[in-house]
Amino acid sequence: MKKIISLILFSTLLFSSEKPLLTVYTYDSFTAEWGAGPKVKEAFEKAYHCRVKFVSTSSAIGTLRKIQIEGRRSKADILLGLDSATIPLAKTTGLFARHELDTSGLQLPVAFEDDTFIPYDYNFFAFVYDSRKLSNVPHSLEALAAMPEEFKIIIEDPRTSTIGFGLLLWVKLHYGDQAADFWHRLSPHILTVTKGWSEAYSLFLKGEADMVLSYTTSPAYHETQEHTTYIKAAHFSGGHYGQIEVAAILKRSKHKVLARKFLQWMQGREFASIIPLTNWSYPVVPVTLPKAYEHLIHPKMLMMQQEKIQEGRKRYIQEWLRAIKR
Amino acid sequence: MFEADILQTFYFTLFQAALSTFLSLLLGIVIAWSLVHQRNFWASRVSRVVLSVSIVLPVIIVAFGLIGIYGRNGWLNQAAEYLFGFSFGAFLYGLFGILLAHVYLNASYAAVTLTGAFEMIPLEQYKLSKSLGFGPWKRFWYVEYPAVKSTLYRSASTIFLLCFTSFGVVLLLGGQPRYNTLQVAIYEALRIDFDIPKTLHLALLQLTVSSLLVVAASLVTGKTGNLKQASVPIPWRESGGSAFFQKNMIFLFLIFFLLPLIEIAYEALGHDLFSVMNEPLFQKALLTSLLIATISSILSIAVSLGIASLQLKFLNRQTRVAKVLYSATAVLSNIYLAVPSLVMGFGFFLYIQAYDLDMDRWGFIAVVLSNILLSLPFATSSISPKMEQVSNRYRKLTASLGMGAAKRFFIVYLPYLLPSIGFVWALSFCFSLGDLGIIALFGSDELVTLPWYLYELMGSYRTHQAASVALILLVLVIAIFIVIPKMVGKLHAENR
Repeated sequence: MKKIISLILFSTLLFSSEKPLLTVYTYDSFTAEWGAGPKVKEAFEKAYHCRVKFVSTSSAIGTLRKIQIEGRRSKADILLGLDSATIPLAKTTGLFARHELDTSGLQLPVAFEDDTFIPYDYNFFAFVYDSRKLSNVPHSLEALAAMPEEFKIIIEDPRTSTIGFGLLLWVKLHYGDQAADFWHRLSPHILTVTKGWSEAYSLFLKGEADMVLSYTTSPAYHETQEHTTYIKAAHFSGGHYGQIEVAAILKRSKHKVLARKFLQWMQGREFASIIPLTNWSYPVVPVTLPKAYEHLIHPKMLMMQQEKIQEGRKRYIQEWLRAIKR
Repeated sequence: MFEADILQTFYFTLFQAALSTFLSLLLGIVIAWSLVHQRNFWASRVSRVVLSVSIVLPVIIVAFGLIGIYGRNGWLNQAAEYLFGFSFGAFLYGLFGILLAHVYLNASYAAVTLTGAFEMIPLEQYKLSKSLGFGPWKRFWYVEYPAVKSTLYRSASTIFLLCFTSFGVVLLLGGQPRYNTLQVAIYEALRIDFDIPKTLHLALLQLTVSSLLVVAASLVTGKTGNLKQASVPIPWRESGGSAFFQKNMIFLFLIFFLLPLIEIAYEALGHDLFSVMNEPLFQKALLTSLLIATISSILSIAVSLGIASLQLKFLNRQTRVAKVLYSATAVLSNIYLAVPSLVMGFGFFLYIQAYDLDMDRWGFIAVVLSNILLSLPFATSSISPKMEQVSNRYRKLTASLGMGAAKRFFIVYLPYLLPSIGFVWALSFCFSLGDLGIIALFGSDELVTLPWYLYELMGSYRTHQAASVALILLVLVIAIFIVIPKMVGKLHAENR
């Protein structure tokens, strides 16, 4: 009996040591039941004989902060979920290793090249509303600020959320020196500022606000999963700020080879086919998109230069904080 | 030296603390005064029991309940919507919410301590004031106020310090950076911005000012010699006007106090209370919280017994050095007010980073240590006077019998100290169960306590699960704080 038990124990030991563990830190909507996480885990584990563990927080920048706070002891191998606009911030931490992969074959709406961060999907920010409840839909940032007093929106915090920071840059591109004035005018309409997208969107679905800062692809989720078409994204004149979501390997990762394989795999067709119906974004490899994507709006993509973002980040956030404080 | 926004945060911290203290004391004294003069009113009797729990009510539960009543979708707005078709909106978040929660917590505390002070006024003084024909106002001014003045000052300094270092209330109800206290600013600078230099600035400012305040407070207040005597009820009826006022105040305050707690129970019981119990993270949080509370409450007793016996030693030696050492031990038990949770947490964080230690293990140690320090002021002020009493009575006897230290402690001291130890145990266990301080820095899926889990649920607006967790926490705290001391008291009575 003892022998059998020790044999079992030994074999489980062998079994577990045989399969290396890849720890991926990300935001919570990625790991949600309906999100990309479960499918990604299953597919990658099967293809590469390993185990994948997702550790999630409420926002992408929050995840970066978590890794910073954990310091040298952090178990993270990969950080997944920052975006093009937060790359400069992430690089200043010096925590990430070069990916040494060729990304030239990827299809993106704008030119993108980075030696550390690998793009895995892209999207457009948009204000989303329920067309049964909202009739006078604003079609520009200016119109948004000029809505009646009782009109409320939910946005994400630019200090923690990539989408919140994206709106900050969107406003900055549109208004330049007048950005603070715009925020000041918008602030009476801001019901609350959440840490990440999930909280904001679930509050909106509960009917707490008229609009929520989300993505142009959000309606596709409701059409595909719930067969409803009343959730719509407002098409703003002058273009929508775009987001390219990225992933990178931690310098301190003990599974760099496996981590690199994961990033490589994220550029393949299998991952690309999971993304549109789980992470509700456009994949970076051409695959057939779900039918609901045909009904989405296709705005012009706005993006600010990396150098300008790096140089302005702290100032923009200070400006935002002061403007909504008044 | 400091950036403008750090100074703004500092001024706001002082401002809200001063205002919270003033409002809490004002309400606290009115309630205490009403309770003393309306002893036989049914709501008074209920209030006395209910308010005694206020000291251990977790901040996060209070905040959650207040949101349920005064929040955007709270009972108040729902009622207004139903009756008049309009809503007060989201008025809770900001200064109002902070003041409301601080008053909720501290007016109750002030009412409890001040009721004790009122009851120590000798009946003769009331007789005198009656024979002089004093009205309620004159009676208050000439008889009652001078008697409760010292307790009032002492409560004022305690409440001011608590509000100055307030974290949970401001984190949950502040709403935006403008209404940050230094403690919340430290949390945000580290956990949201990861700006170490700024965190250091904030922590140093907090440390300096709260240390100065603790020293100043110890100069003002002096010793707590509040040994309760059997109080005699005042035999006369109050005049119609003041009785009406007093009864209304008690009744309204009781409603104000109970409504948020009732809301939690309603919200939790209206949905599936037990679904949350199947969540692995909840089970982990519950076990971790119980473990932390057990360890820290036992250590609290040990440390406070140690401090109390040291104080006794210094007290019995009449040298100048002994007097200085005596004050030093008193400061020791108040150290958590000088080095509040987030400052201490940040210290631990720097230590963990410098020596490359395991975050979860050291986070656990940090939480336990902070919970011991949290209950120490209350623990020593409960055990120390008792020990002094016993010592005065039996010191010479035990010396003449040649008892050893261990024997003396177990045979002579322990039986007398048992009720106080039971109280301290329950108090620190409950403090620990409800503490949302250092855990805010170290909380993760690996290290999770009930308040942290509740905070996370609230953050992601999972209100129903949050209500269930809040109710479970509330029931635990009340059960432990009311039931355990009774059990120990019974045991004690049987042993005698």
